[in-house]
Parts: sequence; C-alpha cells; structure tokens
Amino acid sequence: MNRSGILHIIQVTSLSKSYGDFIAVDNIDLNVEKGKIFGFLGPNGAGKTTTIKLLTTLIPPNNGKINILGIDAVKNPLDVRKRIGVVLQQPSYEPTLSVEKSLEKYGMMWNVDKKTRKQRVEELLVAFDLLDIRKKKNDDLSIGQRRRVQVAREFMHDMDLLFLDEPTVGLDPSARRSLLDYIKGKVKSGLTIFFTTHILEEAEYLCDEIAIINKGRIIAIDTPDQLKTKFGREKTIKIHVQEQNVSSLLSDIDCKIEYNSGVTITVHSDKSEDVLQKILHILASNGITVEDLSVVPTSLEEIFLSVVKNSNESSN
Amino acid sequence: MNPVIRLVNRNLTISLNMGFVIWQVVFPLIYIFVAGFAYTALIHDVPFANKTLDYPAFIATGMIGFNIMNSTLISGIIIWNDRRHGMFEQILVGPFKRSQYILSNVYTIGIIGLFSAGLITAVGYPLFFKSVSFNILTVPLVVFASITGAILFGSIASIISTRLKSSEGFNVVINTVFLFFAFVSTAFYPAQGAPPILATAFYFNPLTYLVDVVRAGIFGYFDYTIALEMIVLAVGAVILFTVATKLLSRLEI
Repeated sequence: MNRSGILHIIQVTSLSKSYGDFIAVDNIDLNVEKGKIFGFLGPNGAGKTTTIKLLTTLIPPNNGKINILGIDAVKNPLDVRKRIGVVLQQPSYEPTLSVEKSLEKYGMMWNVDKKTRKQRVEELLVAFDLLDIRKKKNDDLSIGQRRRVQVAREFMHDMDLLFLDEPTVGLDPSARRSLLDYIKGKVKSGLTIFFTTHILEEAEYLCDEIAIINKGRIIAIDTPDQLKTKFGREKTIKIHVQEQNVSSLLSDIDCKIEYNSGVTITVHSDKSEDVLQKILHILASNGITVEDLSVVPTSLEEIFLSVVKNSNESSN
Repeated sequence: MNPVIRLVNRNLTISLNMGFVIWQVVFPLIYIFVAGFAYTALIHDVPFANKTLDYPAFIATGMIGFNIMNSTLISGIIIWNDRRHGMFEQILVGPFKRSQYILSNVYTIGIIGLFSAGLITAVGYPLFFKSVSFNILTVPLVVFASITGAILFGSIASIISTRLKSSEGFNVVINTVFLFFAFVSTAFYPAQGAPPILATAFYFNPLTYLVDVVRAGIFGYFDYTIALEMIVLAVGAVILFTVATKLLSRLEI
C-alpha cells in the first residue's frame, strides 16, 4: 500500500530488458491498483509482450524491481505465479484433449479440488458459449473457439491478478463483447486485470487506466478520460450543405471539402468552436442553409496514433 | 497434490490415448509372432550366455527393450507438442518450476517404460517361458534396465525436441535416430555371426546394452559383461539426462 492508502497490485520501478543491442523494455515505471483493469497499449514490437513476460516471471529483467501482490517477483517468482492467471498472446492448447477435458485437466494442474473443477467446467462452458463443442478435440476447433477455450481455462483456478495479452484476437464481435463483459463481472468481485490489446474501443470500454508504450518506453499513462483531455483537444466537425460553390467562400479556412449528394465540409482543429463559428457566419451571410452538422470528439484511437507519432518523431 | 504428480497426471492423460496403446501392443506383437516365427526357418537357435534360445524367445525378449525405447519417444513428443502448442510457456507461467516440469517428464518416461516392459513381458511370456530363469537376483535387472533405458532414450528424444524447430525436422531426425537404434542392435538378431563391422556397431548402441540386460534378467544370467553393460547404461542415462535437463532449462521463451 502506498502513502495515499492505495493498494498497488503491481509496482514496477526502472524495469529494463534487452536482447543484445536491442532494448525491448526501457526503464519503465508503472503501478496498478487493486480491482482495476489496466490497459497496456502499443504498436507491434513496442514491448507489450516482453513486459507481460517480465511481470509474469517468464523471463528475468536486466534491471529494475517488480513487485506483484506484495511479492518480489524477481526473487520469488513461484510465489507470484501461484497467485496469478495468464492468457498469453500465443495460442496454447492440448491438441488431443476435448474442450471439457482440457478445462478439467487445467483445473487439476492448479490443484483445484474435483468437486469445484466439475462445477467450474459447467459454468465456463456456459459463460464462454462452449456447450456445443464440449466434446470436440482442441485440434478440431477453429482459431476463435480455441481462443475462447484458452481464456475460459484460466478461470478454472482462483487468482488475484490476471494478465490478458490480446485475449480477443480471433474472436467474432459477439464473442468479444461477451468476453469483455465477463471480465468486467470478474473485476467487480475484486480481480485485478492487466490487459493488452490492439483494439482501442476495447481499451476504452474496459480499462480504468491506460498506459501507451512505444519503443520500450511508456509515453503516456492515465485514465481514458484524462488521456482525451490531455491529448484530445482536437475535434472533427462535419457540416453538410446543398450549395456546390462553397470552396471559394471558405478558402481562408483550413478544411476539407467533399462533393457528394451535396457538399460535406470537414474541419479537424483544436480550436473547433472558433472555426465552427467562422464557417457558420460565412454560410449564413451567403444565404446557405446548413442541412446537417456534427461534432465528433477525438477517439482513443486518434489519441493513440497521435501520441505514438509524436513519440516516434521526437526519438528520431 | 504435489506439483510433479499433477504434471505426470497431465502428461499421461495427453499421451496415453487409444492409438498409442494399440501401437504399443500391436507393433511388437507383429514382430514377436509374425517375424519371430517366420524367421525360425532361417534362424533355428540363438546362443545367449550359457543357453540356447529359439528365435521367437530371443526376439520376444528383444522386443521388451525395443518397446521401452519406442515408448520413451513420448517424452520427446510431449516436449515438442508443448513447445509447438504453447503449453510449455503456459505451464511455466503456472504454479510450476522448470525443474518440476523436467522431473515430471522423467517420471512419465519411467512409468511408460515399466508399463511397456510389463506388457511385452506378459505378451511374450508364452514364447520364452521354457527358458525363463527368474530369481530374486535377476528380476531387478529387468527393472533396472527398464528405468535406466527409459531415462536414456527419453533424454535423447528430449534433446532432439529441444534442438529442432520444425515438425518435419523433428519427425525425420527422431525416426532416423530411433530406426538406427532399433536395427543396429541385438534386439532382433545376435551379434555373434554378424559381419564384424556391424557386430562392433551394435555395441555403440545403447539399445544393445538395454536388451542384453533385460535378457540377462529374464534368463537368469549374470556375469562381468552384464555388469559392465549395466554401468554403461547407467552412465549413459546420467550423462544424457544431464544434457537434456540443461538444454530444457536454457530453452528460450
């Protein structure tokens, strides 16, 4: 617990990992609070999976401290592993076992008693929509079905912290939403989740806090709303009019004009209110009627792209 | 339950499917009852130590060692499949140490080796019962050979599985190596009478030592040569097991 009384399930200080000359994780610090979903975002090769491997004790760091659930993960990795669950990015399955048998055996490997195993298998088959394929061998499943089994399997055992490395890869939209809702439900019962994804809507839907990593360094960390406030001042405005001859009227304004069943004027600016007023004034003074107007705040995806782009430019 | 026992339970569950058991029984049965009797027209008697065996009795006892070797392929296959299907990493982020994973493979090999030896001994018994001379001193030889042989060949299969990256490579290498072990040995034919180069090559093969010790146990014979073969088998098992463990411990994730 820190000085402000917040219980941190993960505390990482000055963590680094390199492979030869390549620095995969570069001196990162992060804290994850109990009962929260922590999103870890970054482009391919940014260091997400290496960070997860370090936190789950799969590989040792070159430098830095990792404290998981109050345990020094470098000195006592087994004690950490006994209390965490991990769904790795790469598929993992027992090809010769059926879906229900693989859930059951995974519970046995975690020393879950037989009665609880039986009960959990039934619950998870329902929760992850696996009832119809319970007797099918893992080898015969589709990629999405296998991924569902892999994620479901992790809930066979009790844990305090769950690492999910891109768990929704290969899932269809409805399975993805079911999984995210299942995760949300588990968090309500006290589970803490460290979650990586490429799908920014997922992070926005699920995460209480988000860190963006690029080239091994954390370049932004905050709640989704705060990230938007900090980096999302720009808004997109779309105005639809019928008058075709607007380009000359708006020549002084930085905007994009598209001709479709009328004209759509698109403005992307961090001073959107001022620009909007100017455009509306010009249109009104020329007797042009606005048919449709929308203001779209910057999405997390745009913030992500902008933050990563700035980080790449500054490092170059 | 102990973590190693939990892993052994898992290893046995994923390995012992009906196909494997059938292969383990049918394959040696064909050798014993088809090849064994078919070759009696060519090979009448085979000398072993102070006895003369008929060929079916000779090959049946050779098949015990052969089956132990074959069954330990399972060890390599478990490691190979775990790496290929992501279970190696998944187990290592679970409540297990690498040493427990390795130990569980050794126990699995030992159990399967003993099971295979018992199975072929039972199946082949009618063929060699006339010459059998079990006693309290020779029965442990069969158990010793089963366990050390299983560890030795299991370690070879494990080493191959840690070094190769493609399934095709794994299958080609493991089948070639085990084919050499099977046919350049005294499992199917005696060293006496074979061309000198081949007879010498037999003794560069651990399967020869394994089947010699198994036969010594079954036919109640023990001398200096058998003692030496047991030492070679034990030393080979220790060295190869150490190498396999080191390679597995250093396997990058």
